Amino acid sequence: MIELQERTRRISPSRLHEVLLEHGCTSLVDPFMGMPTHLNYLKRHGIAVHGGDLLEWFVRVGEGIVVNDLTILRESEVAEIVEMLPGRIYSLDTFKAWEGVFFTEEQCLYLGVWHDNVRNLRSDGQTGLAILGLWRVFCYWMQKTQYPDDMQDVPPSELAWSYIRQTEQWVHANMRRNTVRQSDVLTTMAAQTADALFLAPPARNSFRSADARIWMWEAWWQGNPYFTIEHAYRDSLFGARAADPPAYSRALAGVLSHAEAYPLVVVQTTEQRLGDVEGIVRNARANVRILAPHPYEIYLIATK
Amino acid sequence: MTLFLDTGGDPRAGAAQLADVLALYGALGDAAAGNPPGFAARKAAAAAALARTVALDGADVDAIYLAGLLHSVGAIGNGAYRRGERLSERQARMESWDVPAQGARVCAEMPWLPAATSDVVRWQSEWWDGTGFPDQLRWHGIPESAAMLLLADTFVRSADPEEALATVSEQSGRAFGPTVARAFTMWYHSTGAELDPCEPPLHALDGAPAGTASEWLDRIADRVDAHVGEPGRWRRIARLTEPAAALRGFDAESRRALAIAVRTYGAGELGESEAAESKYDPLARLGIDERAAHAVAAAALVEPVASFTIAAPVLRARSEWYDGTGKPDELFHGAIPAPALLLAAAIAYDSLAHKDRIDTAAGTQFDPHSVRAVLEAARALA
Repeated sequence: MIELQERTRRISPSRLHEVLLEHGCTSLVDPFMGMPTHLNYLKRHGIAVHGGDLLEWFVRVGEGIVVNDLTILRESEVAEIVEMLPGRIYSLDTFKAWEGVFFTEEQCLYLGVWHDNVRNLRSDGQTGLAILGLWRVFCYWMQKTQYPDDMQDVPPSELAWSYIRQTEQWVHANMRRNTVRQSDVLTTMAAQTADALFLAPPARNSFRSADARIWMWEAWWQGNPYFTIEHAYRDSLFGARAADPPAYSRALAGVLSHAEAYPLVVVQTTEQRLGDVEGIVRNARANVRILAPHPYEIYLIATK
Repeated sequence: MTLFLDTGGDPRAGAAQLADVLALYGALGDAAAGNPPGFAARKAAAAAALARTVALDGADVDAIYLAGLLHSVGAIGNGAYRRGERLSERQARMESWDVPAQGARVCAEMPWLPAATSDVVRWQSEWWDGTGFPDQLRWHGIPESAAMLLLADTFVRSADPEEALATVSEQSGRAFGPTVARAFTMWYHSTGAELDPCEPPLHALDGAPAGTASEWLDRIADRVDAHVGEPGRWRRIARLTEPAAALRGFDAESRRALAIAVRTYGAGELGESEAAESKYDPLARLGIDERAAHAVAAAALVEPVASFTIAAPVLRARSEWYDGTGKPDELFHGAIPAPALLLAAAIAYDSLAHKDRIDTAAGTQFDPHSVRAVLEAARALA
C-alpha cells in the first residue's frame, strides 16, 4: 500500500488575505503556487493573482479556477468526460501498470478513458476544472485503499460526475487580469509585478518525498504511469542544485534578492524550518514580523 | 445605565455574564443565518461531547464549545444575509462562504477567548476532500477540532440521530476524514447519541477584564444595526431613553430592562432580506404586523439567556398600542410594561422625518407620559 503523507503544511488563504488587507495590497505573485485554491480565494476577494509552478497539472487547474472567469462545464459536457464516448477510440491500457498495485482494473480503465476525454476538451478553463474534479476522485480512491471499510464504494462515473460538477462553483470573475504559468520561480517573478510576493518554498529535496497524490496525478495528466516529477526539478532553482543546506539557503536568498521591488513579501514556513528560513528573510528585509498561529502554518511578513 | 447585576467582584459571576453575552451573540448569528432557535447551543454541546470522545484536551474542548456557540456570528453583516442586498443566488452562495472567516475575525477581537476558538470557527466548514470553504483546506490540514464542529453541525441539522449516522458514513472520505467518521460512529454507539446538558466553560472566560460583557453587548448591537441597514440606531435611541427613563422615575430594574431592550430590539429584524418595518410610517396601523413580528422575534431570542430574560416582556410589548389595539397581545394602558411604552415612543420618534408628529399619536398609539419624556429628552439633547 502506498503511504499517504499525514501532515502537510497549511496555507490559509483567508489569513493571507487579512495580511494583504492590512498592508493595502491588491495584487500578488505566488511562484510556488502548487494547488492554486488559495489563489482562487484571493481572486474572489478582488486580488489580482499571478501564479507559477513546475508541474503542469497545477497550472492547468490554475487555468480552470484562477485564470478562467466564465467557462463552466455543463451537464452534457461533464457526461462527455466521465463516460466512454461511442465512436472514440480509447487506449484502455494506458494505466495498466497501476493495476493491482494502486488501483483495480476498472479504476485503471476509467483513468485511461478520462485522460483521453479531458485531452479532447475544447477550452483551457474546462480542462482545468475537469482535472481538478477528477483529481479529487483519484484522491478518494487512494484514501480508500487505506480505509477500505470506512469509505463507501461509489461508482467511478458517479463520483467523477459529482466532483466535476462541484468545481463549477469556484468559477468567478474579479474584473482583474489573473495569470498562471508553468515556469521556475524566478521566471514567474520576472514576468509580473505586484504589491505582494507570496513564497511557500519547498523544503530541501522535497520533490523526492512528494505526496503520491501529487506526482501520480502529473503522471496521469502526462498519460505515462512511469512518469516521475524528478526531471521537472532537475534544473530548477530548488531542485538538485539546492540539495545541500548551503545551496538551499543560497537559492532562497537569491529569490529574496530578486524580490526587492515587492513592497510586501510573505514567506510561509513551518516551526521545524523556521530557524533556517528566518535568518535568510531577515538578511533580505529590514522589517520582519512573524505570524505563527500553528506549528505548521507560520508566515514571515517582510516589509521594506 | 447598568446592564448587568452587580457581581460584587466575583470573577465566576462575571464570567457567567460574559457567557450569556456569547450565548446571545450565537443566537443572533443563528437568526441572521436562518438557523432555528437554540441551534448554536445544541451545536456547541454536541461538538464538546464529540471532542471528549476523541480525547481532545480540556482547553481544546472549551475552544470547541465556544466556537460552536459563535459558529455563525460571521453571518451578521455578511452580504449573503445582510438586509437590502440584491445578490444572485450564485453570488449569495459565494458570499456565504465567508461567514466562517468573518466569524473568526470576530473571535480574534475577543483576546480572552481560548486561543484556538478563532481558527475552529474559521475552519468549521472545511471538508476533508478539499471541497469545503472558505480556505479549501484538505486532509490533515484541517484541525481535528474544526472537524468535530462540522460533525456536530451535521448531527444537529439531522432530523434524528440515525439520519446523522447515515450522513456521516456516506460522507466518510469526503466531508469527514475516515478516522473522524469512525469517531462519530463510536460516539453514536457508546452514548446512544444522547446529549448531556452542557454548561459553558466559565473557567475559560474568567480572564476577561471587568466591563467586557457590557462592552460586547454594545458592539453586538452596533453590528446588528449595521446588518439591518440602520447603523447607529440603538445609540440614538439610548440617548433618548436614558434621560427619558430618569424623567419617568423608573427604578433600577426597569432601567436595566430598558437598556437591554434598546440594545436588542433590532435583533428581531435579523433574517429579513427586506426592510419591511421601516417602509411604513411608524405612526400608521399599516406595518403593525411586521412590528409585532419583530418584537416577538427579539423577545424570543433574548428570553432564554439568563442575564437578559428581564428584557423579554419589554421587547415583546414594544409594538403594543397604548389604547389596547396593538399587537401581539393587545395589551392596554397599565398592562404594558412602562419601559416598553417608552421604547416604543423613542423608536417611533427616531424614525420620524418630522419629529413633532409624534404628539398626534399620544394617547392612542403611545403613552402620553412617555411621549412627553422622549420630547423633553430630545429637546435637552438639541
